[in-house]
Amino acid sequence: MGIFKRLLQFASIFFTGLAILWIIKYAYSFSDYLIPPPAELLQVATSYWKIYLAAVVNTTAVAIAGHFSAILLATLVAFLGRSGSVIGNLTRTAAYNLQAYPIVAVAPIIFLFLGDGLASRLLIAAMICYFPLLLSFIGIFSEPVDQVEHFFRTTGRINWRLELAIRTFENLDKITTVIVGSGTMAIVGTIVAEFLAATNGIGYTIRKALYQSNLAKILVALFLIGLFSSLYLSLIEYIGGRIKMRLMGG
Amino acid sequence: MKQFPRSHFILSLSIVVIVALTLYLLGGCTKKDETTRNHMTGTRKNPIKYRLKWLYNASFAGDIWAREKGVFRAHGLTVKLLEGGAEQDAIKDLELGRVQFGVASADQVIRAVSEGADVLVLAQIFQKNPLQWIYNQKRLTINRPQDLKGLTIGITYGGNDESIMRALLKAYGIPTDSLTLYAVHYDYNPFWKGEVDLWPVYRNTEGIILQKKMQKANWKAGFFIPDRFGIRFVANSLITSGRIYREQPALVKEFTQAVIEGWQAAMDPANLATAARIVHRFDTDTPLAIIKQQLTSTRTFVTPEGKWPMGRIDRAAWAQTLGIMSSQGLIKREIKLAPLLAGPPP
Amino acid sequence: MRLVCDNLYYRYPGTDTPVFKGLSFGIDRPGFISLFGFSGIGKSTLARIISGEIPPDKGRVDVETTGQILYSHNAERFPGWESTGHHLERVCDYGKRDLLAHLIEEYAVAPYLHSRYSGLSMGQKNRMNLIRYLVQDFGILIADEVLANVDEPTRNHILAGIKELLADRIFLYISHNALEVARFSRLVLVLPQNPEEGHTAIRIIDGLDEGTGQRTYEERTLQDRVYQLLRAASGMKT
Repeated sequence: MGIFKRLLQFASIFFTGLAILWIIKYAYSFSDYLIPPPAELLQVATSYWKIYLAAVVNTTAVAIAGHFSAILLATLVAFLGRSGSVIGNLTRTAAYNLQAYPIVAVAPIIFLFLGDGLASRLLIAAMICYFPLLLSFIGIFSEPVDQVEHFFRTTGRINWRLELAIRTFENLDKITTVIVGSGTMAIVGTIVAEFLAATNGIGYTIRKALYQSNLAKILVALFLIGLFSSLYLSLIEYIGGRIKMRLMGG
Repeated sequence: MKQFPRSHFILSLSIVVIVALTLYLLGGCTKKDETTRNHMTGTRKNPIKYRLKWLYNASFAGDIWAREKGVFRAHGLTVKLLEGGAEQDAIKDLELGRVQFGVASADQVIRAVSEGADVLVLAQIFQKNPLQWIYNQKRLTINRPQDLKGLTIGITYGGNDESIMRALLKAYGIPTDSLTLYAVHYDYNPFWKGEVDLWPVYRNTEGIILQKKMQKANWKAGFFIPDRFGIRFVANSLITSGRIYREQPALVKEFTQAVIEGWQAAMDPANLATAARIVHRFDTDTPLAIIKQQLTSTRTFVTPEGKWPMGRIDRAAWAQTLGIMSSQGLIKREIKLAPLLAGPPP
Repeated sequence: MRLVCDNLYYRYPGTDTPVFKGLSFGIDRPGFISLFGFSGIGKSTLARIISGEIPPDKGRVDVETTGQILYSHNAERFPGWESTGHHLERVCDYGKRDLLAHLIEEYAVAPYLHSRYSGLSMGQKNRMNLIRYLVQDFGILIADEVLANVDEPTRNHILAGIKELLADRIFLYISHNALEVARFSRLVLVLPQNPEEGHTAIRIIDGLDEGTGQRTYEERTLQDRVYQLLRAASGMKT
C-alpha cells in the first residue's frame, strides 16, 4: 500500500472517529471533562504538539530499534531452530513455550534488572514483536523450497548460507508482511512499556494525561502515534518492495 | 465487473464499526438513565451502582461495611459496589449514567467541574489526605521541608502527589532544582535500591506493607507528612451528579446517610475484627493482620477532629486544594466551591 | 560402468501398499537408457532411490561409476535473484565452460541469458535446467520428464545430441512418450502397471538406439516397438 494511501486511510478513520465523538458530545450535552470540544483539542494540539512530537519520535525510535533487534534475534534463533537436530528441537520448543508468558507478567522482572530506562523499553518492544517474527521465521527457514534447493543438494553445493538465501527470497512477501505486522506490535510494545514504567515517550505522556483525565491530550497522542505508525509501516513496505524489485532484477 | 478497492472496503468497514459502536454506546446511555428513574432505590436486577476510586482495600472499609453488613439494605437500597482503578473514573461513569454514586479525590472533582461536569460532593470521606512520603529514618533525618533539599523525591507526574509536592516546595520557597524529582511507577525497586530517597505512598494501605518490609530489611520507616506542614489537599469524597441530586433527593440522602453509617461502624475500634474480616473478603491478597493495621491507620485519616461528624466537608481544605490547582495551572477556569460542596440534601 | 538394483522394496510412509516388491534389474554398459511406465507407477520413486535421495525399505543399489549420480526433474527452478546466464556460469563445473557455451548455442537459449528463470516459457525453462545438469561432473544422470514442455523437433534434436555427449555415461531418461523412448533408447526399462503377485518384475526391452542424423529401421519396426512398450507397461505379455 502506498504511503499516501495509508496516511489518507488513517486520517479518514481518525477524523471520522473524532467527528462521531463530537456528535455524541453535543447530542447528549456531555461535559468538556468527558469529551473535549474541538476548540480545546486544537488548543492542546497547538500548545503541546512539540512535546508530544518529541515523545512520539522518541517512542518510534525505540520501537524501530526494538523491532530491528527482534528481527535479528528471530532470524538467529529461527536459523538455529530450523534443523531437526537436538539444538534445533530444543530451540523450537523453548521458543513456543516462552511465548506463552504475557509480556506484562514478565515486565516487572525486566524493570527489576534493567530499571525503567531505555533498556527496558527496548527489550519489551523487542520481546512483544519477537515471538510472531520467530514463529514465522522458524516456519519459513525450516520449510525446504525443494524446487530450488534440489539442484544444489543433488550436486553437493548446498550450504547454510545458500539454504537461508533461497528460503528468504522465496518467502520475501510473507516476510515483509510479518515484519510490517510486527512493526505495529513493536510500537504497541514500546507504548505499553512506557505506560508501565518508563519516564519517556508517548506511552508515558498518555499515562500522565490519564492521571489528569485529559482526553484532549490522549487524542493528540493517538493522532501522532497513528501518524508515525503509518509512516513506519509504509517505510518497511517500501523497503521490502524495493529489495524484492532489486533482487528480481526490476 | 469493476472491483471495489480494498482500501475503500476497509474504510467503509471501519466507519460501519464506529457507527455501530456509537449506537451501542448511545443505547447504553439511554437505557441506564431509564434504569435510574424506574428503580429509585435499586433492585437485585438493577441495583444502585457505586464506583469506588481504587481497587478494594481498607480505604473503602466503610463502603464495604455498608454493603456487607446490610446498612444500605436498612435504608431501603440495593447497592452494587464497583471496583475502581487507574482506568476508572467515577465522574465519567456518573455523566454516562453508568453509576449513580462514586468516590473521587478532590483534584478529580475540581478539574471535572472546571470543565463543565455536573458533579456534587455529598461527603468528604478522608478528613486528612493519607498520601505521604516514606523514607528510611536510619539514613535520613527530615524534620522540616527544607530538609528535602538535595534529596531524590519520587512523584507520580500528573498525579495528585505531584501537585502536593509542588505546592509544598512553593509554600516553603524551595526551588525545584535544589532537589531531584523522580518519576515513580508501581515498582518500588528504585526505593529499595536507594536511588530514590522518598517514595509516595498511601500511608494507611501500602504504607503499612512497606513499613513491615523495611523493618525486615532492618530499615526504619519514617513518613514525611505534607498535612503537618500546612498542605491540605483533599482526598476521597462521596459524589453524585447534579441531576440525580435534584431529581432524587431522597435517594441521595439515604445513600449518603448509609455510607456515613457504614464508615462510622467500620471505624469503631470495637468492630475492628469484623471490619477486617469483611474487607479481607474483597481484598483477599492482603493478610488479615495487615488489614487490621490498615484499618487502624485509616481511622486516623477518616475520623474528623473534635466534634465534627464523620463525612464532614472541610471547606477550608477544599479551598486550599482549589488554590493549589489554580496556581499550578491545572484547571481551565475558576470555579465556585460553595455549590459544589453540596452535602446531602436536607 | 554398472548400475544394479537388487530386490528393492519400498512403500511410501504412512501407506500399506508397496510401490516395489523385490524389484531387480541391472545395466552393465553406458548409454541412453529409458525408464518407461504409466503415471503413478513409481518411476520417479525408483529414480530417487537410485540417486540415493530416499533409501529403499529393503534391497540395495550397487553402482560402479566414475562420477556422482544426479537426478533432475522438470519442476525445478533457478534461484530468483540472479539471471539464468549468471546462474549457469556460477554452477558450471570446472573444465565444462566450452560445453556450456556449446549447449547454450545448441539449445537456442542465448537470448534468454539475461532473463530471470521465472520470466521464461516452460520449454525454455526445461532446456535451461537440463543444461545446468549437463555441465556437471557425473557418471549417471537421471532425467525425469526434463523435456516435457519442449516441442517435439527440438526435443528429438536435444535427445540425439545427448546420446553423443553422454556415450560414455549412463543417461537414464524417464518419459511417458513411448515413441521417443522407443527411438532413442538402447534399452528401455518398463515398469508394468499390474505387477505380478509377490514381486515387481521390471521388463527390459531393446530400443531402436537412433543417433544423430541416422535412421536404420522401418516405420513398421518403430510402431511394433511402441506397441511392445505399451503392452509391457500395461502388464500384458509381450
